[in-house]
Amino acid sequence: MASTVAETQGGHAEQAKSTPALVLKDVSKFFPGTIALRNANVEVRRGEVHGIIGKNGAGKSTLVSIIAGLYEATSGTIFINGREIPKLTRAVAQRERVSIVPQDPQVVADFSVAENLFLGHEVTRGRVVDWRGIHRQARATLDRVGLPLDTHIKASDLSVSEQQLVLVVKACYVDAAEIIIFDEASASLTHSDEELLHEIVAERCAAGCTILYISHRVDELLKVCDRVTVLLGGESRETVPCAELDEVSLATLIVGEAFATTQYEAEQKPNDEIVLDVSGLTSAGRYTDVSLQVHRGEVLGIAGLRGSGRTEVLKGIAGIERADSGTVTLAGGEPGLFGHPASALKAGLAYLPEDREHEGLVSTSSVTVNCLLSSLKQVSRFGVMKGRTEKARVREVVRLLDIKVSDISQEVSGLSGGNKQKVIVGRIHEARPSVYLLDEPTRGVDVGSRQAILKIIREKVAAEAGVVMTSPGLDDLLAVCDRIAIMGHGRMVDIVERSAFDETRLYVAVQSASAAAVRTGQDKRGMEE
Amino acid sequence: MNLRVKLFLLDNVIWLLVIGFFLLNAIFTPSFFTWQNSTNILYHSAIMSMLVLGQGIVIVVKALDLSIESTLAFAPGVAMLICTQWLPWDLPSAVAIVLTLIVGALVGLFNGFFVARVGMNPFIETMSTMIIMRGLVLFLVPFSIFPLAGVYKFAGQARIPGDIPVAVLLMLLVYAVFQFIFGYTAFGRRLIATGGNRQAAFIAGINTTRMIMAAFVLAGLLAAFAGLLTAGRQGSISPSMGINMVLLSFAGAILGGASLDGGKGAPIGFLGGALLLGMFSNALNLRGVEVNLVYAMQGLLIFAAILLDRGREAIRARVLRQEQVARFESTATGAATEV
Repeated sequence: MASTVAETQGGHAEQAKSTPALVLKDVSKFFPGTIALRNANVEVRRGEVHGIIGKNGAGKSTLVSIIAGLYEATSGTIFINGREIPKLTRAVAQRERVSIVPQDPQVVADFSVAENLFLGHEVTRGRVVDWRGIHRQARATLDRVGLPLDTHIKASDLSVSEQQLVLVVKACYVDAAEIIIFDEASASLTHSDEELLHEIVAERCAAGCTILYISHRVDELLKVCDRVTVLLGGESRETVPCAELDEVSLATLIVGEAFATTQYEAEQKPNDEIVLDVSGLTSAGRYTDVSLQVHRGEVLGIAGLRGSGRTEVLKGIAGIERADSGTVTLAGGEPGLFGHPASALKAGLAYLPEDREHEGLVSTSSVTVNCLLSSLKQVSRFGVMKGRTEKARVREVVRLLDIKVSDISQEVSGLSGGNKQKVIVGRIHEARPSVYLLDEPTRGVDVGSRQAILKIIREKVAAEAGVVMTSPGLDDLLAVCDRIAIMGHGRMVDIVERSAFDETRLYVAVQSASAAAVRTGQDKRGMEE
Repeated sequence: MNLRVKLFLLDNVIWLLVIGFFLLNAIFTPSFFTWQNSTNILYHSAIMSMLVLGQGIVIVVKALDLSIESTLAFAPGVAMLICTQWLPWDLPSAVAIVLTLIVGALVGLFNGFFVARVGMNPFIETMSTMIIMRGLVLFLVPFSIFPLAGVYKFAGQARIPGDIPVAVLLMLLVYAVFQFIFGYTAFGRRLIATGGNRQAAFIAGINTTRMIMAAFVLAGLLAAFAGLLTAGRQGSISPSMGINMVLLSFAGAILGGASLDGGKGAPIGFLGGALLLGMFSNALNLRGVEVNLVYAMQGLLIFAAILLDRGREAIRARVLRQEQVARFESTATGAATEV
């Protein structure tokens, strides 16, 4: 039913122009507990640069992973060059000349640039690897792009940006792919390398390749793409030619209709007491000159893309990864820097890690043990646990945060994501800090738990303390924050008051922060000189 | 079966094995089931049980310690040399006992420092100290030191009325103390949390470096105590004490519920592991199995222990998964009826 391609050779060339390079028809992908993609429809024309954009969790990465054969779609049909591909595996995708440059550069660290370029394409003479040939070909390829890298250098000695470029070159020129997917490839590129990427995209496109370009950034997509498809909540919305769009209209499409998210407003205004004062916090290569103040009863959000430095700043404040300079002052404390999370906790500052499984929970231990891990001193006398106090306190936390457990001695590994997160919130709450640093508190939890956690943050946690929270998307921050700080490239760019919240404008601001921060940083440096 | 019962049995499977093995031999192995042989098993298990406990504690913090078998000879050897030869005057044997324990603890501190603070791989680090100490003790104590004073031999040799060895009572006492530490103290919590997830424990405000060092110090201390028992029992300090014992200490700890992934296990289980090892060799000896074959079968026991470790995790995961599915289904049907 799908073989619309004419059998004859002449017809093939004729057809090739008009058949789309790639068609996704009603493609869905279910993960346990979530629907990542729901009946997505995308049509990519041959020889165009097709952008895919959407908020966090809109399904961008799932979509391209299906096209590249990394995930199998739950339902729906996929056509490549007009032919239906019944079972699109990685091997099939490679045969169909589909190549993907993933989000994080995945090079073989111990291999040279040349080896990485020709990974999977053995250049041999007889049965022996032709090293001279590999390096000669690698050199020629890199020269063609204008990338002045030594082909003998090990990938581990390259910067992340250079590693990413090597993978781009591999996908475009060595794999000789016809459909090339860039999954947020520019996120790890420096400004000049990004220009190079755009040149490569333009050149490949002129050579007849079809390009799928995923990015978070509105300005970049408008610059690079011919058409963009907007995803929203796992559904494909519309495909629009870029010529008809500007940054604001595209951002409006991405944000979607202002559907009512529950707002959790403070019952009373935050008072004037400053509980956390961070000034000039700097860590070389991670973040620069970050200053912020949090009042008692206030929730301050930090919005920023991956790599903007939001997590690193929180870890710096909490003493988990010590900052190089700057000061952190808690209410009634001396200015200084924490060198260890234990001392931060003692001073009244607690951190909720974004990576729940690796940094948050002792998953082989019980709910009780996990809940009291940060407050062992309070529930023990001369080092011996006070059994009854301990149980009473855990029961109280379970009730307060509405954690669904069968028993407080249950192992936490058996809980759902949302309840696990609540256990960590409970652990921090039990330490009774005056400042909470919450790093992506709603990561990986289902919708119901997300609402519950946001409500807890607003109503219980922020009631007597100051809160700083981050989120990859804006929804959570808009729902609970009093102010939102925007970060990009390790710098605090702007702070917006609740009265001035506007999702579209904030979205554009966050996207452009990553690009803008570098430029203004360079300008500033220039002016100082 | 109730989930908690299942998990309880899974975590305490060692005592089922101990009881089963005991009953089996009580029926089939001649002269196994006598009061004398039973206390004999306990007496012979006392030394190994100290190593198993030390190894278990180190495994709980997700490390391992190969050096304990050398500490077992090194600590009493050095202590006795200090007391009888290196100083111009002799020190009483009671001091030698204290010195033995101090040397053991210092060896543990050394290992702990380089593993936890410097970040050396525990396998390589403790293997090197194992070899260093064995070499030193063979050099310093080329011939066995004897006779030993009565006080020094007391723990290893003395018996109280009823023909019960003091060593057995000490073993039970030490295990009781450690069971309490694990179950009812903040220190025990920190130790287990450090092994279960070091980064999470660190972020939760626990000094994980100190916890790992503490585990090594305890292992060194227990190894020195095992040395004291060994020297007391044989009435001399010989340079070859403890050789080959460390591998069985792994078997005991893992049979006893420690997981190589860290954060699992308790002294009560380690005791079961040590007793199973003791009964195993006792039973084989009584049945007249050739000594080299006993050694081979102990190797098999280690293999079984590690297989048990993996199997236990797999079964645990499956049991928890079943439970989750069951709960999901019950809430799903619950929601459906509500609608």
